[in-house]
Amino acid sequence: MIDNLQEFLYQFFSSKQCQVTKVNQTELSIQLTRELDQALMNRPFYWHYMDKIGRTGEPMSLHLDTGTQPENKEKEWIHYGSPRLQQIFQYLGQTAKFTVLYETTTSEQRKALLPWLLVNVRVQYYGKQTKEQLHSIGLQLINGQLVTQMMDRLATVTWGRRIEDYCYTISPLIKPKSGFQRVFQYVENQLLDQDNQWIQEANTSLEEELQLLRYFFAEREEQLAKEEQQLRERLSPRIQLTVHNAGLFYLTDSTSSNF
Amino acid sequence: MKIPIERDNDFMTNFEDSLAEPSHLVDWQLFQQSYQMAETMKIPSFTELRAPFFLPHMSFLPHQLQCAETVVQTMNGRALLADEVGLGKTIEAGLILKEYMLRGLAQKILILVPASLVNQWAIELNQKFLIPAYPSGKRVDWKHTNIIITTLDTAKSARHRQAILEQNYDLVIVDEAHKLKNHKTKNFQFVQELAKKYCLLLTATPVQNKLSDIFNLVSLLKPGYLGTLEDFTKQYKHQQLEDDPYLKQLISKVMVRNRRADTGVHWTERQIETIWVSLKEEEQHVYENLQRFFKSRKSVSAMTYIREFCSSREACYLSLKKWLSERPDLMETTDLLTLIEQLPHHSKALKLVDLIKSIDSKVIVFTEYRATQIYLQWLLQQENIPAVIYRGGFKKGKKDWMRQLFQQHAQVMIATEAAGEGINLQFCHHLINYDLPWNPMRLEQRIGRIHRFGQENDVKIYNFALKETVEEHIMNLLYEKIQLFEYVIGDLEKILSDLKVDSFEKEMEKIFNESQSIGESKIKLDNLTAVIQSYQQVDLDEEQSV
Repeated sequence: MIDNLQEFLYQFFSSKQCQVTKVNQTELSIQLTRELDQALMNRPFYWHYMDKIGRTGEPMSLHLDTGTQPENKEKEWIHYGSPRLQQIFQYLGQTAKFTVLYETTTSEQRKALLPWLLVNVRVQYYGKQTKEQLHSIGLQLINGQLVTQMMDRLATVTWGRRIEDYCYTISPLIKPKSGFQRVFQYVENQLLDQDNQWIQEANTSLEEELQLLRYFFAEREEQLAKEEQQLRERLSPRIQLTVHNAGLFYLTDSTSSNF
Repeated sequence: MKIPIERDNDFMTNFEDSLAEPSHLVDWQLFQQSYQMAETMKIPSFTELRAPFFLPHMSFLPHQLQCAETVVQTMNGRALLADEVGLGKTIEAGLILKEYMLRGLAQKILILVPASLVNQWAIELNQKFLIPAYPSGKRVDWKHTNIIITTLDTAKSARHRQAILEQNYDLVIVDEAHKLKNHKTKNFQFVQELAKKYCLLLTATPVQNKLSDIFNLVSLLKPGYLGTLEDFTKQYKHQQLEDDPYLKQLISKVMVRNRRADTGVHWTERQIETIWVSLKEEEQHVYENLQRFFKSRKSVSAMTYIREFCSSREACYLSLKKWLSERPDLMETTDLLTLIEQLPHHSKALKLVDLIKSIDSKVIVFTEYRATQIYLQWLLQQENIPAVIYRGGFKKGKKDWMRQLFQQHAQVMIATEAAGEGINLQFCHHLINYDLPWNPMRLEQRIGRIHRFGQENDVKIYNFALKETVEEHIMNLLYEKIQLFEYVIGDLEKILSDLKVDSFEKEMEKIFNESQSIGESKIKLDNLTAVIQSYQQVDLDEEQSV
């Protein structure tokens, strides 16, 4: 969970190599990079033009305020649900999908690193109403050990994007592709809601709506079929498993054995 | 029970390719941030909304949360919000809007409200819901501004219409949507044409058994289902509109209507006091002259002049003079005018001054007439009582300014009928009906300005009535016997529509105009009252037996 939005944004822009200053408790001043300017500022023509004439172009800066009172127009007021934050979230969601990371150790002993597949799965229930669950699942790709709450476990480890000189990785016995299937299988068998009332409610509601539709569209067959299909798409109970993000994590045996 | 489960196969397929592409990979921090974001924004339950979690400074009432949940979760975001006045429809709409924004389902939003409410909506959305919504200014950019609050008139004007119709809105909100009742109007057609995914129509007009009143609103929300009212009646002429069970069900799928009584919230009380005023001898004399004069003429507007006279010399004088200027042959009226001119200060006005002096708090005074409004302001001024006036015709900025002056400086606000809609004055809990409207809806709207959610005090309502005038009949027969002030308006509306009386006001004018004598009109009013009372009794009995 995000508990401090200003801190969250500060971290985000810093890791994207932007210059960020905390102006006060709620405000941030950000000099964007070209990448972020293109992602957030909605001016493709400017960059197209700069590229055409061979200039580097100047990324814009942002002044964000996460406070609860909008005070002046110079600052951009940002809060959950506001279009700007929604845009940043969307960008983050799209770009931070994959990772490969290696545990950083302090010892200089030669060490083997075990491969883990981490899958953050979102379970979406669609029916008369909707809801979501988020599961973070880790699968050890050698022995098939499977654990939940993987993100919390991984957060206790220091990570590097390169393997350290004195470490080496062990090749997975389980291919990531079948790893995903195992994870999905596990979610479907163990983690889905056991209470099926929502399915009945969705079916009842669909039936009701269909009846209404048939009454009011009785003499317009083609339209009726189209509307029926739309209703079914919206109300037929179904579950969707999507991967929010996933990665390969290489861990020492001692860290692994704590999981 | 078996239901389809879809797995994210695309992700699996892309996974290995992406791992081979270093530019697709991120460090731990961003990876973790993305997960934190997903946890923060997820919708964990079928019934709970996410929005209240992000708005800890707000405390919502149960019926407001319930309403927003129903609209978002089961009505698919297309709904008619028809709560009784003062239950917080704006709050409900704001909650729904916020929820859709949080779920990433709404970014482009158009909010259409009466001119007097534009600023208030902006303030509420910004401060209460932390939603960056902007009132449409002189140079408005429909394409690039995400959340705009504007009026129907501005939106449908030749200057903006096209630009707005080119946008794809995720959500359109229309406040005071009863203005869309008639599908032949430009307003209706414009809203119908807007490209919109979700749509909220807000109305305070009680919608009870008269399906024809909301038929077109429902057809806006469920496009394709109904067609026009004419088509519908033609196609299904085998039955009464009201008896169509499918239509009723369709409506239940789009309408949320909370009544004060159902909310389970303790509302502050209404204390009602009638202030009887007697006309001075010379006033009574003119009043009788006036009545005699019109009785012999059978003028349709007779009742208007008489009611105006009960309000102030000024109101009556001005319209009588206008009437006279169109009829130079009528010498008698000139005498009447002279008589009015010579009258001293109006008895009711003097009583008003006394009453206001005795109230050590803010007071809102409602009158039906502009001339009376100006006169009262002047009169209070003479007594060093600061008063602001408020009218529906004021520009937006002026209205906001007047409201603020009233809140911060003036003791009194004198408002005409047109001010009834929209303005919120919870900081005031004394209301004077200087003259009574004959339309119960307007009365409820007046009271709704101060007796609404957020009012912390019991509300005191003073009704002025002149003895031995038409006001006395109205007060006695209708307001006291029907107990209009205690009853919530919805009940009365229901009764009237059962009785097939469409306008209370017209019905009463008819009674007065058609009656040969005061006695006759009294009997007719008594009859009407008796019928209404018997209905109220039936309602009461039904409630008790349930």
